[in-house]
Amino acid sequence: MDSSTVKLILLIIHSLFFIYACSVILSYILLAIISAIESNQYMKRNSFVNYNEILSSTVAPSISIVAPAYNESLNIIENVRSLLSSHYVNYDVIIVNDGSKDNSLELLIKAYDLVKVDYLINEQIKTKPLRAGVFKSTNPAFEKLIVVDKENGGKADALNFGLNISNSQYCACIDVDCLLLEDSLQKMIKPFLEVTDVKVIASGGVIRIANACTIKEGKLLDINLPNKFIEIAQILEYLRSFLLGRMAWSRLNGLLVISGAFGIFEKKLAIEVGGYDTHTVGEDMEIIVRMRRHMEEKKVKYKVAYIPDPLCWTEAPDNYKILISQRNRWTRGTIETLRKHRKIGFNPKYNLLGMLSFPYWFFYERLAPIIEVVGILYFLILVALNNVKWDYVLAFFLLAYLFSIVFTLIAIFSEELTFHQYKKKGTGFKLVLVTLLEPFILHPVILYAAIKGNYDYYFNKKKKWGEMVRKGMSKT
Amino acid sequence: MNNLKKIVLAEDNSTLSLLLKFRLEKEGYQLFIAEDGKKAIELIEENNPDLILSDIMMPFISGLEVISHVRNKLKVTTPIIVFSAAGQEEMVLKAFNLGANDFMGKPFSPNELVIRIKRLIP
Amino acid sequence: MIDFQFLLDYYNNLPSLIKLVWGLVGLLIIVIIDFLLYLKYLRSHLRDEEILSKKLFADYETNLINFLYAGNNEIKVSNEQQKIIDKMVFCVEDKFKRGIFISVLSKLKNEISGEMAIDINNLFLKTGLINYSLKKLNSRKWDEIASGIKELTQFEITNVYDDVSKLENHEKQEVRNEVQLYYVNLFQFKGLEFLNNLKSPISEWNQIQLLEILQKFDDQEITDISPWLKSENDSVVLFALKLAKIYNQFQSIDILLDLVSHKTKEIRVKSIEVLSYFQVKEAKSIIKSNFSERSIEEQISFFKMLLDVADSDDENFILENTNHHNFELKLIAFTLLKKLNSKKLQSIIQASQNIENEKIFNYLEVN
Repeated sequence: MDSSTVKLILLIIHSLFFIYACSVILSYILLAIISAIESNQYMKRNSFVNYNEILSSTVAPSISIVAPAYNESLNIIENVRSLLSSHYVNYDVIIVNDGSKDNSLELLIKAYDLVKVDYLINEQIKTKPLRAGVFKSTNPAFEKLIVVDKENGGKADALNFGLNISNSQYCACIDVDCLLLEDSLQKMIKPFLEVTDVKVIASGGVIRIANACTIKEGKLLDINLPNKFIEIAQILEYLRSFLLGRMAWSRLNGLLVISGAFGIFEKKLAIEVGGYDTHTVGEDMEIIVRMRRHMEEKKVKYKVAYIPDPLCWTEAPDNYKILISQRNRWTRGTIETLRKHRKIGFNPKYNLLGMLSFPYWFFYERLAPIIEVVGILYFLILVALNNVKWDYVLAFFLLAYLFSIVFTLIAIFSEELTFHQYKKKGTGFKLVLVTLLEPFILHPVILYAAIKGNYDYYFNKKKKWGEMVRKGMSKT
Repeated sequence: MNNLKKIVLAEDNSTLSLLLKFRLEKEGYQLFIAEDGKKAIELIEENNPDLILSDIMMPFISGLEVISHVRNKLKVTTPIIVFSAAGQEEMVLKAFNLGANDFMGKPFSPNELVIRIKRLIP
Repeated sequence: MIDFQFLLDYYNNLPSLIKLVWGLVGLLIIVIIDFLLYLKYLRSHLRDEEILSKKLFADYETNLINFLYAGNNEIKVSNEQQKIIDKMVFCVEDKFKRGIFISVLSKLKNEISGEMAIDINNLFLKTGLINYSLKKLNSRKWDEIASGIKELTQFEITNVYDDVSKLENHEKQEVRNEVQLYYVNLFQFKGLEFLNNLKSPISEWNQIQLLEILQKFDDQEITDISPWLKSENDSVVLFALKLAKIYNQFQSIDILLDLVSHKTKEIRVKSIEVLSYFQVKEAKSIIKSNFSERSIEEQISFFKMLLDVADSDDENFILENTNHHNFELKLIAFTLLKKLNSKKLQSIIQASQNIENEKIFNYLEVN
């Protein structure tokens, strides 16, 4: 191998990195523009919507809120109360106690006057069986509550049980520790009802971080910016992802994932595609891909809708260990889903789903951490070989860093101009400070978690959900 | 001043509360206002009112729960009038089953409300 | 001190790519500084606006309540009321204040009816807000048009019907929706005339809104819904079906029996539901005749209907369908069998080896 071939190879490698980096930046710019347009239109469309009428309507479709619970005894009473106070008429709340080892069931029975009832379940999706049974309340004020106690089977299995037992037209699958605002249901159901030209198969919501917010007995009283770096950094991440990313994808109708913490599906379709996959840790993404794929195969025009309003508030990891475990799981979920549905990648039969969404997710979400690590390693090799022009490196590095700052700032602007949840003095300063530091502190952690996720996926098959230690939402 | 009849009003619409407070105080009642069911229960327990007015759809403790609490836990027969935008049959039935005395669907006429109040606490 | 000449030389000697990179870096730094300054301004502006908003809201709220109670029965408008009107005429010239005042009026208007509601409408007129709303109707921005119509609807301004109806076929669905809501809010059932000629689809969302508004009015002349049931526009048919059920339109039963064979599946399903509600036995033979060709939704809907109208003539039909592949339908079939001929059910249970059916049998024993 002579030096000109080596030079050629190096040139190709450099060009590939360069092209990848440029395309990432270009795609971010495009997504930012599209999401700005969509946000603007959305805010306009909603400025005069009247949600009052639908509140009292008995014609409005039935919704079941399905919330799997595992060892949630710390907060479960409050959470259930918050779910029961939704301002919607035709809904019920199905709490699926997934073989909890704690006293969640006893607490619920006592707080809500529950008694065991006879229930004939249409087992459309195979799930683990019942344990203590199905319970309903004797108090008419809690008529909407159904509690199911079953053998442990994991989140997907619990959700499937909820789908089986529900009698409603739609199912809102949420995490039980998610605080839902009272008008969430009517806002989330709206796309299903107002779109006339295509069929809306699912509607996804935005997850807001509840850490440091004042929550009293299941009601969100005050929104505060947390003080810990790790929490603020996640808020920024969520803002970028939800307000810039998903908003744009929703407009393109290329949304590949609905947050597992809050999404509504048409129940019939969810069961038709077989419910949630119990063999993956990314069941929220996987079911959406499967539902989309199903609709593409049926050649029916459809849409996955997205509501950017801050409706669902949940606790984010507040220490690095749990954060890494969470991101590790998300990475494995992404890999599993993409791998399971690889047939649709670059397949024109699947239109936008196969030709845009899937490739994008594959190259820019799934491969990105790997490419980044390879890039870093390559850079280190160059350093070792003393083949580095440090001033060039500085230039490129600054460019990348500044671009990421710009995007985060754009995300912050989106938030200020739309929902403006962080109003208090000093939060702006904190957000900017974290923006400047995030690439140095949070990003390496996320990168590490993603690489570990890849490693665990290929070499460590035994990992599953991990424990999320409940700290309990802050009380006054 | 102590022979003024006491009314607890549980309503999360501040403008409506203000309107009703104005009107009812003019009619000679003493008003206590709560923006949600939890505060309503506190006010009821503290002040032992002669009448309770409550909206049904309120933040995190509904009007139905307030009625249930008053009838079943506090075990008092204080007259209760509920009003709600969800003026559907089901809601009305549930309210009466739990022990409400009267029900008004929104939008309602404040004049009519006063008449009904006077009927319950003459 | 930085040697500018050195930097300049250095820069000029760079490859063009790196020059570009440094150029972009410089540009981005400027952009970021601008963003940061704007962010600070934006946040404090939003904060101030909110404080002002709250203050004005509370102020206008008090004004409104005083206005409503300051009337005396003889004179049209008392002095105190006039003072408030004058104040508000001045305030609403400012767009921000206008918005807040309208939201105060709306907030109360939604909750109360009767004399006081009429007083609020009058205040809307007397303060000249109506002119601003009318101006919005001529805007080029669709959201402003929709907002204007909504205001005219909320405060029940009937004499602008012509201006509003011009927008009935506006290209934007949101505007058309608002026009429809205007019609129904102000003219109740008469306002539904637009359904006669409606070509565009009317969304479920809007249908629900219209129905809720209609139900708020107590006495009304319910117009003939048959032309709507026969409409070419499927969404109009679906809406008419909802009306048929809610307003007990027995006279439309003949049309409903026809709709059971409509080309659109959803209409067939919904008409079976309405016939079920009316307990129309004549429907049975029509549906049974081509039962197996019908979609599963229609089949289940029909069986739910049988729960109310089945008689011994249907026994064989029900018996056949206890072997149906759909669990929900099977359950209803067995439930019906228990009601009609429990002896027959018992003999089936004895002979049955089907595990899935066992679940149903156990359940039926106690329920």
